[in-house]
Amino acid sequence: MAEKGGQIVPESVLKKQKRTEEWALAKKQEVAALKEKKSANRKLIYNRAKEYAKEYAAQERELIQLKREARLKGGFYVNPEAKLLFIIRIRGINAMHPTTKKIMQLLRLRQIFNGVFLKVNTATVNMLHRVEPYVTFGYPNLKSVRELIYKRGFGKVNKQRIALTDNSIIEQTLGKHGIICIEDLIHEILTVGPHFKEANNFIWPFQLSAPLGGLERKRNHYVEGGDAGNREDYINELIRRMN
Amino acid sequence: MSAAAARPLVTVQSLESDMATDGAAANSVPLPDVMRAAIRPDIVTFVHGQISKNARQPYAVSNRAGHQTSAESWGTGRAVSRIPRVAGGGTHRAGQGAFGNMCRGGRMFAPTKIWRRWHRQVNVTQKRHAVVSAIAASAVPSLVLARGHKIEEVPELPLVVSDAAEAVEKTSAALKVLKQIGAHPDAEKAKDSQAIRAGKGKARNRRYVSRKGPLVVYGNEGAKLVKAFRNIPGVEIAHVSRLNLLKLAPGGHLGRFVIWTKYAFEKLDSIYGTFDKVSEKKNGYVLPRAKMINADLARIINSDEVQSVVKPIKKEVKKAPLKKNPLKNLNVMLKLNPYAKAAKRMALLAEAQRVKAKQDKLDKKRKPITKIITYFCCLSMHLRFWVYLYFIGSLLLVSQSRASLMQPGWKLPCPVYLSHSVICLLQEEASAINSASKSWYKTMISDSDYTEFENFTKWLGASQ
Repeated sequence: MAEKGGQIVPESVLKKQKRTEEWALAKKQEVAALKEKKSANRKLIYNRAKEYAKEYAAQERELIQLKREARLKGGFYVNPEAKLLFIIRIRGINAMHPTTKKIMQLLRLRQIFNGVFLKVNTATVNMLHRVEPYVTFGYPNLKSVRELIYKRGFGKVNKQRIALTDNSIIEQTLGKHGIICIEDLIHEILTVGPHFKEANNFIWPFQLSAPLGGLERKRNHYVEGGDAGNREDYINELIRRMN
Repeated sequence: MSAAAARPLVTVQSLESDMATDGAAANSVPLPDVMRAAIRPDIVTFVHGQISKNARQPYAVSNRAGHQTSAESWGTGRAVSRIPRVAGGGTHRAGQGAFGNMCRGGRMFAPTKIWRRWHRQVNVTQKRHAVVSAIAASAVPSLVLARGHKIEEVPELPLVVSDAAEAVEKTSAALKVLKQIGAHPDAEKAKDSQAIRAGKGKARNRRYVSRKGPLVVYGNEGAKLVKAFRNIPGVEIAHVSRLNLLKLAPGGHLGRFVIWTKYAFEKLDSIYGTFDKVSEKKNGYVLPRAKMINADLARIINSDEVQSVVKPIKKEVKKAPLKKNPLKNLNVMLKLNPYAKAAKRMALLAEAQRVKAKQDKLDKKRKPITKIITYFCCLSMHLRFWVYLYFIGSLLLVSQSRASLMQPGWKLPCPVYLSHSVICLLQEEASAINSASKSWYKTMISDSDYTEFENFTKWLGASQ
């Protein structure tokens, strides 16, 4: 037993004190290291966001320019086919054919007014064709993607639906693909990038509100004056009303 | 396992009669392993409960009780219940209900039988475990105190007395012995507690109750001690090879106050064996092992072996923050996207600039009209008319042909000539208007999606 100013302090107490000190020191160091890493990260994120802003603006201007050029020469500039789709489920869950039900499950649209992003390729297009009467889809623009992810973005972390309140949540799951912040995520989705699959799967299906102003007529296809099926660019207007 | 030296020593209490034979130092005996066995109150309670059933005498009601009548039911139709009734007449008993448990003088429900299972079997190992636990408990002062024994004056637990105690013959001497070793308060307590039992038991040959005093355990058969101690109220005696759980843990409660003689104490090791040595008297029996060798949890947790690999305590549990909309809340937006502030600022500035530029452009276009009007106002009424004509004429000319500068000095019928500066001004404005309208014309064409414009122009009769 050690003597401490005349009072005998049991060894166990001394040991515990030493232990708590060590832990406190280790923790302080850890916190300092984390802080440094975080600030370095912030800079990186800032620069990336700036880069992306420039990229988006450049893309837009380029499109306009090409169109103008073509028009001047008397020809036409055809927009490149869209790479990205946004699908919204507009019908409920009762009385569905089992195969279409399965396709809806594969698309992660299990609830009415659920929305997901989707890459465009033959496989997905064929799937969409099968579920056309139950969904509406189109080509989202930058504003749509941004607003959806900022306002209603939730990530799949450990099979749980976690709100995207911090970039660390995104970095935790998608860091290995180079996506460390929300702007990276938006960029990956918009310009269907090499890790679109992982990024899209990370995003939990969007739970949108019922559209303000209502739908026109769920049971008909868009071209018939209803709501189902491909409505190309007009999906953006619907997203504004549902977000 | 360990040598006898590693085992704690118990000093043997010496009595007066003893002093002469031994040396100055009091004898000490090593503690037998029985006293270090695991104390299992659960086993003791169970075994005690089972064993105490074994001394029961059967009871039952007579098997003829309630059936010594020839009662028969009267059946229906006689305004009485259908219970069997005693036949015959001439007495109160006639016509009374019989046989049923509800009837007066009838047989009880489920008459008790003597073939009820009165006795209980208990596994030998379990019985031995219980006894071993009880012996071990008798060595723990707190348990003995908790059981209610007055051991404040006892010098040591377990209390071992020299063998001279076994030779005690008279009860008075026995009492003296008890006083010497500090066990008298306990015996006294027992004597003082003698009282008439509360309840029906007093009429059932269990009239008196009292507390239990010390249990004296001896080792030699036929020791005189038995006769000396047995009449002291509260005191019980037992031979070491025939220890009874009902005496060691009365009522199923551990911690009887036991007084061992030296001989008995030494015999314990051979009767029960040690943790690794088989018992000599009980065939193949080894003392039971505890579930945990070291049951001191606090010591284990705070030991170096455990603490060196343990992680620090997580005092602050991080809770998920409430999600706020970054599109509305600037701080939350900045947390996610630090560039947002700069972007917003740039956007605001660009917007302000755009608005300003548009305003300037508009102002520039609208400016000439105001200037001419001011000029107009300076001129006299007469001149105003001619300036107005001049202006209109220049415009007409512009619209018809390509921009052709008006030669200065276009002759007015009026003898008044406009000043050079005014004319230049008017020409300037005219050309500005001309160029503006041309550029607008051009953009109208280029921005339009009208594919048949070529044909259209021909149709119009105008050329580009």
